[in-house]
Amino acid sequence: MTALKKSLAAALIAACLAPATFADPEPDLSILQVNVTAQGWNFRQPWQKLSPADRTALGPLMEGNKVLTTASIVSDAVYIELEKPGSGEKITAKVDAVDYEANLALIAPVEANEKFFDGMVPMDVDPTPVVGDELEIWQVEDNGTPVVNKAVITKIDIDQYFLDSSYFLIYEATGSVQFRAASRLLPIARGGKLAGLLLSYSTRDQVSSILAAPIIEHFLKDVAEGEYDGFPNLGLSYAPTLDDQFRKYLNLNGDDDGVFVSGVQKGGSADKAGIKEGDVILAVDGHSIDRRGDYEDPKYGKLNLSHLVKGAATVGQELKIDLLRGGEKTSVNAKLERKLPGEYLVDSYMFDRGPNFLILGGLLFQELTLPYLETFGDEWDTRAPFRLVYTATHQEEFEDEGRRKVVFLSGVLPSLSTQGYEGLHSLVVTKVNGKQITDMKALDDALASPKDGIHRIEFTDFPKVIFVDATMAQQDNESLMPNRYHIFKTKRIDEE
Amino acid sequence: MKFRPIPARAASILIAAAFAAPLCATAQDQEPPEALPGEVPEEIPASPAPPPPPPEEEQGSSETSFEAIAQIEVSTIVPDFRTPWNAGRPGGGSGTGFLIGENVFLTNAHVVSNASKVIIRKVGDPAPHPAKILHIAHDCDLAMLALEDPEPFQGVEPLQIGGVPKLDTTVKVVGYPIGGERISVTRGVVSRIDFRPYSHSGVDLHLTIQIDAAINPGNSGGPVIQNDRVVGVAFQGYSGSVAQNTGYMIPVPVIQRFLKDVEDGSYDHYVDLSVSEFQIQNPAQRAALGITGNTGVMIAGVQATGSADGVVQEGDVLLAIDGNPVFNNGLVKFEGELVNMNEIVERRFAGDVLKLTLLRDGKEMEVEAALKRFLPYLIQANEYEKRPEYVMYAGLVFQPLDRQLMVAHGLRDQTIRYYFGNYVNDELFKEHPEVIILTTILKDSINTFLEGYAPAVVEEINGTTIKTLADVQTALANPPADSDFVTVKLHGEGRPIVLEKARVPEAHQRIMRQYQIDEDHYIEGESEDAAAKSEANNNR
Repeated sequence: MTALKKSLAAALIAACLAPATFADPEPDLSILQVNVTAQGWNFRQPWQKLSPADRTALGPLMEGNKVLTTASIVSDAVYIELEKPGSGEKITAKVDAVDYEANLALIAPVEANEKFFDGMVPMDVDPTPVVGDELEIWQVEDNGTPVVNKAVITKIDIDQYFLDSSYFLIYEATGSVQFRAASRLLPIARGGKLAGLLLSYSTRDQVSSILAAPIIEHFLKDVAEGEYDGFPNLGLSYAPTLDDQFRKYLNLNGDDDGVFVSGVQKGGSADKAGIKEGDVILAVDGHSIDRRGDYEDPKYGKLNLSHLVKGAATVGQELKIDLLRGGEKTSVNAKLERKLPGEYLVDSYMFDRGPNFLILGGLLFQELTLPYLETFGDEWDTRAPFRLVYTATHQEEFEDEGRRKVVFLSGVLPSLSTQGYEGLHSLVVTKVNGKQITDMKALDDALASPKDGIHRIEFTDFPKVIFVDATMAQQDNESLMPNRYHIFKTKRIDEE
Repeated sequence: MKFRPIPARAASILIAAAFAAPLCATAQDQEPPEALPGEVPEEIPASPAPPPPPPEEEQGSSETSFEAIAQIEVSTIVPDFRTPWNAGRPGGGSGTGFLIGENVFLTNAHVVSNASKVIIRKVGDPAPHPAKILHIAHDCDLAMLALEDPEPFQGVEPLQIGGVPKLDTTVKVVGYPIGGERISVTRGVVSRIDFRPYSHSGVDLHLTIQIDAAINPGNSGGPVIQNDRVVGVAFQGYSGSVAQNTGYMIPVPVIQRFLKDVEDGSYDHYVDLSVSEFQIQNPAQRAALGITGNTGVMIAGVQATGSADGVVQEGDVLLAIDGNPVFNNGLVKFEGELVNMNEIVERRFAGDVLKLTLLRDGKEMEVEAALKRFLPYLIQANEYEKRPEYVMYAGLVFQPLDRQLMVAHGLRDQTIRYYFGNYVNDELFKEHPEVIILTTILKDSINTFLEGYAPAVVEEINGTTIKTLADVQTALANPPADSDFVTVKLHGEGRPIVLEKARVPEAHQRIMRQYQIDEDHYIEGESEDAAAKSEANNNR
């Protein structure tokens, strides 16, 4: 009797589980391995790519047969496939959507293939976790065995994701994790729903840094709505007002806290809203800002004000900002915008496209980007040519000169037409054939009109001006570049 | 002198050690400065050059008397630019010097730089003889000394100065290098005659002769002798491990110029044409500039306030200096040798007029340039005997930017590096006779929230634009009457530094006491009146 009951119960449970559509997400049912071969561009020799490298992540399956992973995994991908742990089945995939600032990407099969996803269960997002909640860190071993570790959220804060400049919501969770899979990039679950993606894990203090669910939710919603807007930016920098002498100077009395606006990015959301350097931000969207720049979040407690913009708001939304200006209270409505990296004078990042360049005879011209400077190593700010570093750190001075981009001579490939110029490098171009050079396109256009067959190229620094024979340079472009340097295309201008 | 041009110029920089032997450990504590903006390390060939053929035997070499060659012992005080109110760090070293006339000794400037005491020792004589510095020329690393009491060297025959030795002839180096107590002699051949940087100042280039005799710490200032005549002063070597048997001596033309310069009782320094030139190698360049022959270099820069300012223009072609044709590679034929065109300027003195033949817009023309020093380049120079200038105000320490400051504070801030590296190139000296840096904030309750604001370039104090350290002192001493605050605006920082006027005097005195600062400022050349006035203000 008892035995029968037991087996009956077992059969019933089995019957219930059988139709996959009713099953709850489980690591072995909801995780796919993302295999990426990536090949970044060589920013020093921009006509070619670097050697390829492989990356792997475990990503949760989301609605619509798409897999979520981080942008850092898919950057500069040349080949992507999805692999089923256990069975080892593979399918070729592509990037469906990516946001490098929020460090998120959706991967979809190149060709629809329902069969591949048979028996798999997509995950929903749970944006509710708070401090004290227990999370599950999901893995699947190669043979398909699920592995679950547990960790408790001990802190929720704003921290860096992938790019140096992008700060978003992060869960910090404590609990030991045993890595069993090929990847350390893992989904985080709570009650069978997706609560985040594991960004990093410290073995020493067993703390996991987790890309938080609300940011994932924001990203997925944005993608689902069609045209991707991304996460907005206020475009200002601020200083705390902890200093009592400074507070008196600002006429900040005891009741008001707030932070001092120490810089406003030209053309950014704050600038357009009329926020000025020297203003004090008292409140954002009705939340009082304290002297350090934090507000009291109803869900998370003390949190940096940037979350009110990047986490809680969307592009196009109007945010009320209360200010103290010259001792008087006022408020503005800032319409939130997002500035793409290409809209800055110096691109702060560049993936999935080759950098602009142009070769004239052997003179190599490039547009200044942060990735170019980063080729000088971690300490690029002291190692890279400091004229270029200064340009990157004082962009507005150069934008005022009407530039869209900074074109510079990055080096010289020795050729007959460039004889005598071999040692020149890192020179910012001002004019070519009398025309202002505001970007690579302008340089290309200016090179159409040499005077008496000679190009005149002017720089900000020594030797200030050089001359190149147009015909000789053309010959070197057509013959020496392909034959000796294996450069078959001597320019790339704004190609996707 | 041709001062070292800043960045793009491909001209390479020597990594050379000034070779004075350390006497006590303190002198060795000094870390070699890290690369600063504007410095380009020398490219060194990967494999050693093939050995030179065996030298010819030098004639009559055994006759040299060593009596005129003395050991020089120096105690030094190295100024402390990090804590500028302190006296500095004591140290010392030794080098070599030699008698060239009646109680006149020649040695390197770097042997006796920052000296607090100089002792001369005669060969084989244990007695220390106190000496004094008559002249010191940091731009060419030479110094002239005299004994306080000339008696010990009376009757000693001075060494005679010779000429420029030929390549591949033997010379000997005499001195007191490390490795023993007594006088040492090494031999080698003349390997190369070139226009090279002098590492003592770090920014000056002059004629230099490379020899393959061993030059070691302690040899500095010693004579290099050929046929019983001095043909050079041993002064630097390679500090790297790549180049070997590479010693350098200061050749006779540089020595003679120094001796002539000080004849009037004071040293007036080298003068400079203050232009940067670019070689003509490219046919398109030649055609565009209208150059027909093998003479002419393009003027790529003319330093404002320099000798050629207003006379020469960027884009001019320099065809000849004083009638000497300048070849496309920047060399001139001078005294039978092809040398850097600046060698002609080298021999001249302040006030001399140089005739320049130019090609401007295709027309040949003659202009004249009166030669003078160009001071802004000194921001990048190693300087000596210089008392650090500073203003300390309520814990904020203001100092003028120079190489000493960069090294002492290990300054890495982008803006400061820009001002340092491009000071001459971007003519920043026009707006900033001095670049004032807020280097340190001495912690106190009055400034405890200002952590992180130093180091930075100072733009304004109390609304006044800051161009010199004296401006800092003046602006701080005269805060606006209509405000309760003292404000300091830093470059690139929107948040001003704000101090409550009323709180400053007490905090200022407290900080001076706590940090043991006897004087709250030192500004060179500040009048006594101004000093007294500011003192009164600070005490009010």
